[in-house]
Amino acid sequence: MRTKISELAKRLRNREISAVELTKAYIGAIEKLNPTLNAYVHLTFDTALNAAEQADQRLKEGDAPLLCGIPMALKDNICTDGLNTTCCSKILKGFKPYYDATVWEKLKAHGAVLLGKTNMDEFAMGSTSETSCYGAPLNPRNTNYVTGGSSGGSAAVVCANLAAYSLGSDTGGSIRQPASFCGVVGFKPTYGAVSRYGLIAYGSSLDQIGPLTTSVKDAAIVFDAIKGGDKLDQTSVDYDYGSSLAESLDRDVKGMRIGVAEEFFDGINPEIKSKIEEAIKLIERNGAVIESIRLPALKSALPVYYIIACAEASSNLGRYDGIRYGYRTSSYASIEEMIVKTRSEGFGDEVKRRIILGTYVLSSGYYDA
Amino acid sequence: MSISKTEIEKLAKLAKLSFSDEELERFTAEFDEIIAFADTINQSIEGGTEEIRNVGARMVSFDDLRADEVMPSLPNEKILSNVEGYNGFFSVERSKK
Repeated sequence: MRTKISELAKRLRNREISAVELTKAYIGAIEKLNPTLNAYVHLTFDTALNAAEQADQRLKEGDAPLLCGIPMALKDNICTDGLNTTCCSKILKGFKPYYDATVWEKLKAHGAVLLGKTNMDEFAMGSTSETSCYGAPLNPRNTNYVTGGSSGGSAAVVCANLAAYSLGSDTGGSIRQPASFCGVVGFKPTYGAVSRYGLIAYGSSLDQIGPLTTSVKDAAIVFDAIKGGDKLDQTSVDYDYGSSLAESLDRDVKGMRIGVAEEFFDGINPEIKSKIEEAIKLIERNGAVIESIRLPALKSALPVYYIIACAEASSNLGRYDGIRYGYRTSSYASIEEMIVKTRSEGFGDEVKRRIILGTYVLSSGYYDA
Repeated sequence: MSISKTEIEKLAKLAKLSFSDEELERFTAEFDEIIAFADTINQSIEGGTEEIRNVGARMVSFDDLRADEVMPSLPNEKILSNVEGYNGFFSVERSKK
């Protein structure tokens, strides 16, 4: 049974359950289900129980934020000071960051309880989570199915109620698609809305962190906690939203003009199409104006994504050389050979494929580079 | 558009990667498909692209830059804690002459 953040927050405040008890309940569920689901790749139970104790103290004092004491999970590419962060890649096995990502710092200030880091495609490159060096997570709704990806573990832990919510990252669908596969809510905020400081980079002009939750309201609650400009990420923006996103969900849709892009319906599964059409009718009945629009450039979105993401990845992943952190090959005759062997042994096939494509994009026309 | 095995080898060298012959064959074959897919970008977009604008650009002026002052930074020992076999130096195997 999946539980909403607001319900858990209410139970914590009514003293029906303490944050420590709630955390222990989640730990019990993880110990039972995770060996099968493989949704978590690093567990942080000691840190979680410490945070839960502190959360109980804050709850007792009475001015705790909504997310205080709520157990959650982070994707394995979001840096956590002193705790394993490996992008599910052999090349980063054993890596412990020395600082916190801004989103994690913000959630910690809210009293969040981190249960562990979730499985993902290696360096977020993929859409099934099968390129993880720890093996793929399984879809809790049907273990014969994939979870989607790359934030497959983050979607699976929310789906199986092994965390009340999680954070993922989305470069070309990596939050939204696994959320859809696992039947949970996934939200990729507008680029710049959330700081990526401490998110291990893949395609920097597309990467964005966002929540995976059991309800739209929960996604808004988590977004409100992590949003905002950050000096440490020059692409992030302080924007005045007027109110919190969670509050704005309670307003009605009367008078809103909502565009529906025709292209979104090309080749869509009929069952999904009829569900979306039902939703459109519901919004229309409540007073919104629906307008059909065209997005002719949409057909170029995927090839454009592929070119930009791979070009940026080939540059971003240049830092993995086995010298300062992560995996290093065991035998070599020169520094050059050490770097080449480390990278060739440490990266999986899909990562290498994208690095090569990116190198092609960036060096095309400069054969003598 | 097609790409040769030699070109892939050249790209691998630039990217500091090495491939076995079997991997090289496989990558070369896959590459043609990927390039063909990326090439669809050249197909003209109905209605043109004049309306596609960059909405994210932000100008940074010199006034926005902070003063050049020493700020707190991370302790060296913490940053170096992930280095394999660190003992005051980055140790690597002795290179053969």
